[in-house]
Amino acid sequence: MFKKPTLTTTLIVIVGFLTLCPVIMLLLGSFSQDFVSFGQFTTVKYVEAYTDPDFAAILWNTVIFTVGSALVATLLALFLAYVNTRTDLPFKFIFKVIAIVPMMIPHILFSVSWVLLLNPSNGTLNRLLMDLFGLKDALFDIYTLPGMILVEGLLDLPIAYLIIAPAMSAFDVSLEESSKVCGASNLRTLMRVTLPVLRPAILASAILVIVRSLASFAVPSVIGMPGRIYVLSTHIYRNIASGFAADFGKAAAIGMSALAASITLIYIYRYLTSESGKFVTISSRGFKPTLIKLKNAKYPLFVIVGILSFVLIVLPVMVLFYTSMLPYSMVPSAKAFSMMSWNNWVEVLKDPISLLSLKNSLFLGVVGATIGTTLSIFVSYVIVKIRSTASGILESLSFLSFSFPGIVIGVGFMWFFVRTPIYGTLTALLIGYIATYLPYGIRPISSAFVQIHSHLEESSRVCGAGPFYTMRRIVIPLLIPGIVSGWILMASMFLRELTLSVVLSRPGTEVLAVQILHFAEDGLWGKLSALGIIMIFISSLLVILAAVLGNKLTKMEVVNK
Amino acid sequence: MEIRIKGLTRHYYSEGKQIKALDGVDLTIPANKIFTLLGPSGCGKTTLLRCIVGLETPDAGEIYIGDDLVWSSEKGIFVPPENRGLGMVFQTYAIWPHMNVFDNVAYPLQTSKTPKDKIRQQVAKALKFVQLDGFENRPATKLSGGQQQRVALARALVAEPKVILFDEPLSNLDAKLREETRKELRSFLTELKITAIYVTHDRIEALALSDLIAVMRSGKIIEIGDPKKIYFNSDDKFVADFIGRANLIKGKVEKLDGEHAIFASEIGSIVALNSQKIPVGQNAMLCVRPEFIRLAPEQAAEGQNIFSGKMESLIFIGEAYEGEIRIGETLLTTTIEPTENIVEGDTIFISFDPDHCFLLST
Ligand SMILES: Nc1ncnc2c1ncn2[C@@H]1O[C@H](COP(=O)(O)OP(=O)(O)OP(=O)(O)O)[C@@H](O)[C@H]1O
Ligand SMILES: [Mg+2]
Repeated sequence: MFKKPTLTTTLIVIVGFLTLCPVIMLLLGSFSQDFVSFGQFTTVKYVEAYTDPDFAAILWNTVIFTVGSALVATLLALFLAYVNTRTDLPFKFIFKVIAIVPMMIPHILFSVSWVLLLNPSNGTLNRLLMDLFGLKDALFDIYTLPGMILVEGLLDLPIAYLIIAPAMSAFDVSLEESSKVCGASNLRTLMRVTLPVLRPAILASAILVIVRSLASFAVPSVIGMPGRIYVLSTHIYRNIASGFAADFGKAAAIGMSALAASITLIYIYRYLTSESGKFVTISSRGFKPTLIKLKNAKYPLFVIVGILSFVLIVLPVMVLFYTSMLPYSMVPSAKAFSMMSWNNWVEVLKDPISLLSLKNSLFLGVVGATIGTTLSIFVSYVIVKIRSTASGILESLSFLSFSFPGIVIGVGFMWFFVRTPIYGTLTALLIGYIATYLPYGIRPISSAFVQIHSHLEESSRVCGAGPFYTMRRIVIPLLIPGIVSGWILMASMFLRELTLSVVLSRPGTEVLAVQILHFAEDGLWGKLSALGIIMIFISSLLVILAAVLGNKLTKMEVVNK
Repeated sequence: MEIRIKGLTRHYYSEGKQIKALDGVDLTIPANKIFTLLGPSGCGKTTLLRCIVGLETPDAGEIYIGDDLVWSSEKGIFVPPENRGLGMVFQTYAIWPHMNVFDNVAYPLQTSKTPKDKIRQQVAKALKFVQLDGFENRPATKLSGGQQQRVALARALVAEPKVILFDEPLSNLDAKLREETRKELRSFLTELKITAIYVTHDRIEALALSDLIAVMRSGKIIEIGDPKKIYFNSDDKFVADFIGRANLIKGKVEKLDGEHAIFASEIGSIVALNSQKIPVGQNAMLCVRPEFIRLAPEQAAEGQNIFSGKMESLIFIGEAYEGEIRIGETLLTTTIEPTENIVEGDTIFISFDPDHCFLLST
């Protein structure tokens, strides 16, 4: 089939280029004056970046923002996971929805919807409350650090939940039971036994959320920048976005510390998750824990969970849709409803740049996901089926980009692309996207490969089939569900990509999320909402497809064991 | 078909260390017999089997299937597995989850471009043979463990190979089903007149199923024989100990007496089988299985093959008692009928049947 050593080497070169090129270029760039004098060593950009009088404040904001978001997301996730696995709350399917559905809404639109609700001048919710209680001033101001933390925390809640919920349900209940036998109350058991045992999962979730919010650009740009609250990612953006005076050297120098922090945190995360097996005692008896009877607390708790899922899923889409129908923001009223029209939609669909961005994003989604998936198939094949030192290197390389903040990678790539003819083309975006999101393709495909036990191929050989016949009738058919969900995952990530694109996209290569950001900067909320809903519609379609196919895949896995 | 293996060697390297999975194996597997490879975990059984089917390439040696040389390191011959014409049942069964039962079983025929109606006939025959007729359209994912095992067997048999190989095919079944399937498998295989090579680490499976057993240890074959020979009169201490529970008593050969020898042991003089013809004066080991240590009548006097000892412990295990008897420093394990009227601490007499205890060279 393939000459295995050469396949592995080729892949190491390709993946190595994709993941290491931006990092190396970032490093070199940070020691250069500007694009022209690339390679002439100077530390002047570091001096500029880190002696900037604003820098301390930005760092402080970043710490508060990331740690705050981690707290919000993890505490909410703990609450939801506990209520789900340990109590007799009705309608539990809602937890699945909370864990998965918010991923369908692109972060930038989620952030925008909160601006539309809670901005101090004309936020719908603020206005509603002012009318209701006859207040003079707005009650909430979203353009603050707490506002950013709230929105980012909600955005990262699914990640935290997906880490904490499995640990919570794998937890050996007899540990709790023995505490209760010793006479401790439910609450005391929770504080003294359950939470300490779950500590590694809680820490892991908090760290992952910190990494995510450190890399986050949607919330800091849509909510932070109007309120003049800068964090590292927006500080980098500020340095490169100011058209004529873009300073990529300084951006690279700042980016280095974000990159270092992120890699360190991911390293700690890896350590914690590999250790966590030792702490969380997994019961092999596989019985269900006795559920705590909520009695009177049942309905109040249900209302809380219900409100949370409303706020996470329904509200953002509702607000966007409402705004897209109005000429300017208004409190819902008879007048507002009478003024509704499709004008914004029509205008967006006539706007050449919006149309171009739609076309570009679709192209990047479809072509990028196809190339990315193809690469992922080969990489997964080598990682799973050829177990050698070289394939180990490839594995670490291909998951490295998971810990890179998008905007920093964008700056790194910029240092590379300006030296090549592909600068400012869709190809540049394509390469950047694939480099950053490769793990999203590799994960489902390599788990599909793992699922193909080597005996399935070998028994085909013993049955008289040659390698190609085996490939055609056994390997490919078994791989298809994994390939499809890898493709869809990548396509939907590409369709909404923002962080990398704000750096790499140039006039002519606008993409959807960047166009939405520009609408937000210009306050064109109606058009923004119309374009946003179109985006949500396309990407939800893809995610629903992925979920259906993923379901089929897991069914097969179960039987195969 | 007969299988001949000469000087087969396979090394693995892991973490800088060399593991000899096969260490110069010479073996002839006679035609139309059920031949079992038995040995502890990691001794190289699977590796040997995979070398025979062609899924593994040895480092040195030769393999003949019938008269065809399928592997030779010297002559540079390697026949790929698809051209060796064998059938195999994997430990995991390797039923393809995306096909139904019919397609799974028909696969070996489809690869050889057999006409459609011939395929249908053959598959129906194979499924009937494993008592799965009517399961053709069942998706492979909707089968129980036992049914999957039968489908795997039907698939291995459908192209009517001359040799069929099994790698621990029963280890995924629960104890009761394992016992039933073992019996069925034996009757299937004897009915078919086929050479079967069967890998297991379960000694009862090996004893119950085989015509011949080869015991392996760290990449080498140490003894080949029929089940009775291996159980009652093994030539090797490791084999004797591995194949069943054994009491091993140290001593010296004192006198020869035809088939038997008089053995001066730590507990006294015992008459035992000496098929290895261990000469007088040599140190040896006496092996006696618990079920052949019998209670002697109470009034019996100590004498040849009769000893008195103290009942040290007595554990009820259902069909019998398992007892430990102390004679001086030596502890012997026996099984005692549940009807016997003995309690712990009693002094009892036991006797050794001269034909069922045998000497092993140390
Ligand atoms: N691919 C491999 N790489 C390295 N070592 C291997 C490999 N396959 C087998 N070995 C080693 O070779 C030896 C023999 O392995 P083999 O699988 O033949 O044992 P086995 O007798 O079938 O054992 P079991 O009863 O546990 O299946 C073992 O020490 C094993 O660790
Ligand atoms: Mg084995």
